[in-house]
Amino acid sequence: MTMADTKVADKSDADAALKVIDCDVHPTVRGGLSAVYPYMPKAWSRRFEQKKASVQSVALTTKYQHPNGAVVREDARDENGNVGGSDPRVVVSEHIKPCNIDFALLNCLQAASLCAALATTDESIILASAFNDFFLEEWLPADRRLRYALTVASLDPQAGAAEIRRIGRHPQVAAVGLPLINVLMGNRYWWPIYEAACDFGLPIYVHPSGADSIYQGGPMACGGIPDSYFERYVTLCQIAESNVNSLVCCGTFEKFPGLKVMFAELGFTWLLPLLWRMDRTWRQLRHETPWVKKSPIDYVHDHIRFTTQPLDEPGNPRHLGQLIEMMGADHLCFSSDYPHWDNDMPSQALQMLNPGDRQKILYGNAEKILRLD
Amino acid sequence: MSSITKEKSQPAQRFDVGKVEDFPVGKFRIVQCEGRQIGIIRMDDGDVHAVLNRCPHKGAPVCKGIVGGTWPPSAVGELGFERDGYVLTCPWHGFEFDLSTGAELFQERPMRLRKYRATIEGGSVFILL
Repeated sequence: MTMADTKVADKSDADAALKVIDCDVHPTVRGGLSAVYPYMPKAWSRRFEQKKASVQSVALTTKYQHPNGAVVREDARDENGNVGGSDPRVVVSEHIKPCNIDFALLNCLQAASLCAALATTDESIILASAFNDFFLEEWLPADRRLRYALTVASLDPQAGAAEIRRIGRHPQVAAVGLPLINVLMGNRYWWPIYEAACDFGLPIYVHPSGADSIYQGGPMACGGIPDSYFERYVTLCQIAESNVNSLVCCGTFEKFPGLKVMFAELGFTWLLPLLWRMDRTWRQLRHETPWVKKSPIDYVHDHIRFTTQPLDEPGNPRHLGQLIEMMGADHLCFSSDYPHWDNDMPSQALQMLNPGDRQKILYGNAEKILRLD
Repeated sequence: MSSITKEKSQPAQRFDVGKVEDFPVGKFRIVQCEGRQIGIIRMDDGDVHAVLNRCPHKGAPVCKGIVGGTWPPSAVGELGFERDGYVLTCPWHGFEFDLSTGAELFQERPMRLRKYRATIEGGSVFILL
C-alpha cells in the first residue's frame, strides 16, 4: 500500500472561483501570558507575574513534544523571525489572501489548554476572558475575514456561560470554543454553556487543546497512556468518537434543538462505522434512553459537523472520496490548521470530489453552522 | 410445546390449538402447527394473539422474549411507561414489537412480526394459517 501523492497543486481558474471558509486557523499570542496581562485585573496579573507563569507552562511534556521540535511550521515565521500565526496581518497576507479564504476561524490553543487542565478553575476564568479580549482588541479589527471562537472556562460552566453572554454579540465571534475535559459532552454539566450558545446563535467548537491524553483532568483516548507524539496524535479521534456518542445518547439535541457542534482536527473517517453502530444499538436498546427519539444518524446529520484536516491519505485517493460519498458530504467543513505542520490547503484538498460536494465542504456547510454576521 | 393436527370439519386453514385455559394470560405458549412454531398469548382484555416464533430481524425465537411494556420517547431525564403486557422484546437483539399490530415500535420503517388471526370459540383457541 502506498500513500497518496500530496504535492501542492497549482491553483486552477476553477479553484480561484471557489469560496472558502477555513474552520481552523491558530493564532499564537506572542509572549504568552504576559501579552494578556493588560486584559485582566491587576490582582491577577501580579499573581501570574509572581508565580512566573508563562507560555512555557503550556508546552507539551517531553514525550509528546513534536519530534521535529514544534507544531508551528518553521516556514510560517514572518520576515522578522516571529513565530507563525502571531501577527494577524501576516496571517492575512500569507494565508488568507493567497488561499482566497473568505472567512478564517481563529482558535487559540494557548487559552484552550490553560482552561482545560493547566490552570486552576479561578485562573482559567480570568485567562479565558483575558485571551478573548486580547483577540477582540488586537486581532479582529485587522481584517473582517477573521472570525473568532471565543474560549470558555470549562471548569466552571456557569462562568463559561457568563463569558458567552459578555462578548457573544461581537460580530466577529462565530463560535464558542469549548476546551474538553474528562466530562463527556452529553453530561448536563455543560447545559449552561449550551443554553448560552444557543441564545447567541453560536455553535460549540471543539478542538484538541493540547491537554488531551496528557494531563489528568483532560479528556483521555481509550485504553491507556500513549507513549509518543505519534501515538497520541493518531488516537485523539477517539475523544471525538466518545463525545459524539455522548451528545446523542444523553439527548442533548432534544434538550437544545438549536445546538450545533463542530469537531475540529479530530478526524472523520471513523464517523461512518460509529453511526452504523449507534443506529443499530439505538434500535435495539432505545428504551434505555427514550429521550433519543430518532436515529442517531439523524441527530449527527442535523447538528454536528467535522473539519477535514488532517485529511487521511489512502493510496488510492478515490477511496477517500467514496467514503465521503457514503457518509454524506453534508458532515464536513474545510480546515487548514494554519500555521501548523500537518496542514491541508484549499487548493489541493479533496480534489477527488465532484465540484458540488467540494464547494459544500470548502464553504457551504460551514456557512450554515458558524455565525457569520 | 404441543403439536396440532388439522381440524377436518373446519375450513382448510383453521386450526384448533388448544383449550383456553391451557394458555396463560400474559405469557406465550408455543405450539407446533403445519411445521411452524407459533406463539399464542392471551391478553388480560380477553384477546388472543398468535405470532410466528421467528424474529424478522435475525430469526430468533422471538416469543421467548420479554412480554411487558415500554418506555416511550420522552423528554431528557423523564421516564414514562406504557403498553404494559403488549410489548414483546426479542431475547436476542432487543427489538421491541407491538403485540397488537406486530410492528416494531417507534421506527419510521418498522419490521413486523408475522402474525396470524386468532380467536376463542367454544372454549378453544383457533388460529388461521
